[in-house]
Amino acid sequence: MASQKLATLYNELQRAFDARPSDLKKCGTLLAQLKVGLIEAGLLIPQGETNFHDLVVARDILEIGVFWSIRAKDVPSFDRYFSQLHTFYTDFRSSLPPSKREFAVRGLNLIRLLTQNRIADFHTTLESLPLPADEINTNPYIRHPVNLERWLMEGSYSKVWNAREEAPAEEYKFFVDSLMGTIRNEIASCEESAYDSLPLKDAATLLFFPSQSGLLVFAQQRGWQVDLTAGMITFAKKNDEQVEIPTQKLIAANLAYARELEQIV
Amino acid sequence: MPDVEIVKATDKKDEKKDERKPEPPTPTQEIKANIALIDRAINDIETRLTHRVLRSLTALRKRINDKVLRDAIEENYPKDSAVKNSLLSWLPPAPPVEQSMEVDTTSGTNAAPSLPPSSKPTSDPVPEAEIYFRLLIIHHLHTSKDTYSKSMELSHETVDKMQSMNRRSMDPIAAKIWFAVERSYELGGELADARPMFLAAQRTASLRHDDDTQASLINRLLRGYLHYNLYDQADKLVSKTTFPASASNPQYARYHYCLGRIKAVQLNYTAAHTNLQQAIRRAPAAKTAPGFYQVVHKLFVIVELLMGDIPDRGLFRHPVLEKALSAYFDIVKAVRTGSLSEFQTTLNKHAAQFEADKTYTLIVRLRQNVIKTGIRRLSLSYSRISLRDICLKLHLDSEEDAEYIVGKAIRDGVIEGRIVHEKGWMECGSQKDGYGPEASDMFGRRIGYCLDLHNESVKAMRYPLNAHRKELAAAQDAREREKELAKEIQEGDLDDDEGLGDY
Repeated sequence: MASQKLATLYNELQRAFDARPSDLKKCGTLLAQLKVGLIEAGLLIPQGETNFHDLVVARDILEIGVFWSIRAKDVPSFDRYFSQLHTFYTDFRSSLPPSKREFAVRGLNLIRLLTQNRIADFHTTLESLPLPADEINTNPYIRHPVNLERWLMEGSYSKVWNAREEAPAEEYKFFVDSLMGTIRNEIASCEESAYDSLPLKDAATLLFFPSQSGLLVFAQQRGWQVDLTAGMITFAKKNDEQVEIPTQKLIAANLAYARELEQIV
Repeated sequence: MPDVEIVKATDKKDEKKDERKPEPPTPTQEIKANIALIDRAINDIETRLTHRVLRSLTALRKRINDKVLRDAIEENYPKDSAVKNSLLSWLPPAPPVEQSMEVDTTSGTNAAPSLPPSSKPTSDPVPEAEIYFRLLIIHHLHTSKDTYSKSMELSHETVDKMQSMNRRSMDPIAAKIWFAVERSYELGGELADARPMFLAAQRTASLRHDDDTQASLINRLLRGYLHYNLYDQADKLVSKTTFPASASNPQYARYHYCLGRIKAVQLNYTAAHTNLQQAIRRAPAAKTAPGFYQVVHKLFVIVELLMGDIPDRGLFRHPVLEKALSAYFDIVKAVRTGSLSEFQTTLNKHAAQFEADKTYTLIVRLRQNVIKTGIRRLSLSYSRISLRDICLKLHLDSEEDAEYIVGKAIRDGVIEGRIVHEKGWMECGSQKDGYGPEASDMFGRRIGYCLDLHNESVKAMRYPLNAHRKELAAAQDAREREKELAKEIQEGDLDDDEGLGDY
């Protein structure tokens, strides 16, 4: 063990984290102290010869940090912890015993990328997972975000909505809420182009609003015309604006061709 | 063990002896000729000659063995040269003297008589020749499993040597050495360990404007990253480096393939498509490098599908590709018909192959394309269809899903149409006409491509140095001759006249 102080702090953190409900404030202060301790012991970004046991402890601390950031709703801090953990997951993969929280953490990261609509990063991360392709569909932590992404891309929004209760870990639910905001906007933009008008009641079910008042606020935000008496929403038709012929561009292109042709002949 | 090898070697010799007469020179001679070429290249500062030597490497590689290498080294180095001894130490000890003598004489007799024994060199050839020999030895060591560790050792020593000599004229060979080094590591199964060395060498190469080595090393690194699925790092490497414009075609082909792969993973299918197309165009002919050709086409087919296009049917009939792409052909069929169930069964059937090709995750993404194709087909064939029928025809889970999916398709511009929610059907609008600014844009891009191609090929034409002088001289000569001719004609006129007069 690196130092006695670190050990006691670590034990304290574990107790505070495992308590139900966990003591977020205490965890936060403990984590800050532990991080300083890890840096002093040269374990935060492990370099050179390090004790095998110490590395496992350092990884545990960072993993708790990840979950704590989610519970404290602190996404930037989640990012920091995750990138620090990345070293442990990739570079020390062969020397450390696998962590049982690893895929939960990776899954959380995937969900975060999904909620921020960073689909390209989502796929890059998915591709670099140390899993054979068929296990992606069996690992509960990874399957969840992968399925969500697939449904989002297909447009099966109701499946996404129904899946929000099936989160494999408590922390996933934090992201699910913001994900719902994203899909609501997606659906709304689909409706704008796919419908001329829509009854209020159906719009509410389509957008997963439990009451009309929520829908009305949302409609106002998106600038829809709501006819309360008829109970209809009409979507402002984007009239097909007259497509102009890009004269400038065509002239420039033709001049360029003429010049090139002259060079050839 | 050595005995067996000798027998094999001599056997081969004998075999070759029979068929050699009409054939090109023996490997040993070829190596000798190559060394001469390298020597000339260094003396005339003409790197083209070195490139010519390296072009023959692939063909030569298959024909070398211990014996050939030993003979070649013996022939090209003076009797007691230190370099020779160090080179020979990498090869298994020479067979018993008489036998080697015998073989030597046979090869001497059936070799071209233009090789007099007196041509024994008196001094060491240029250092480039030594590196070239080392390259050949490394490649030779790759052929057997027992010598992988030895090849790694030799690669390390060679790299150290190359870097300490630091000769610009060595660059083209150095690039090949790096390739061999990577291969050593890969065969030894420790590709990741080579990365720091490659990175350091890449830095040095770019500082020295050593284009050949740089191109080779960037490809090595990218390949290493992709091998371990480190797309993030690979992407960063691409954005931080510039691929040298003067790189050779095979290097470009590899680079484009790596780029295509990265872009495809990042969902940037259009860019991936262009890169893969470039890779295919720049790759050597299908018959000479079938492996690369197949791998690129596999990815190309998937990317094309992901873009919403259907690959050309002829592609799957290509003799080199037909067998390799059969699984992909099934996928294409499933996507084309827009049937989700067929897609799923095909995917399950060929899952192992796709995984081995590292295309599985990309193919899984095709699911949404299958749905889109299905909806598009429906929208083209019906003017009005109920959501329930859509749901049944596309094997969707619920009508609710169908409504969302159709809505998304309309928004994404896959189909033109409206949903009438109260009646529960979709009305399909008319297709847009194909004339407009988009068409001219498309033409513009194609014409631009053709013009570029023309200009590039004009630039790529090569003329020997000072050739125009000769032409000038010839022109001068011609003018002189013309003058003379004119004169002669004038005089000839007179002669003729005289002649006529005679008559």
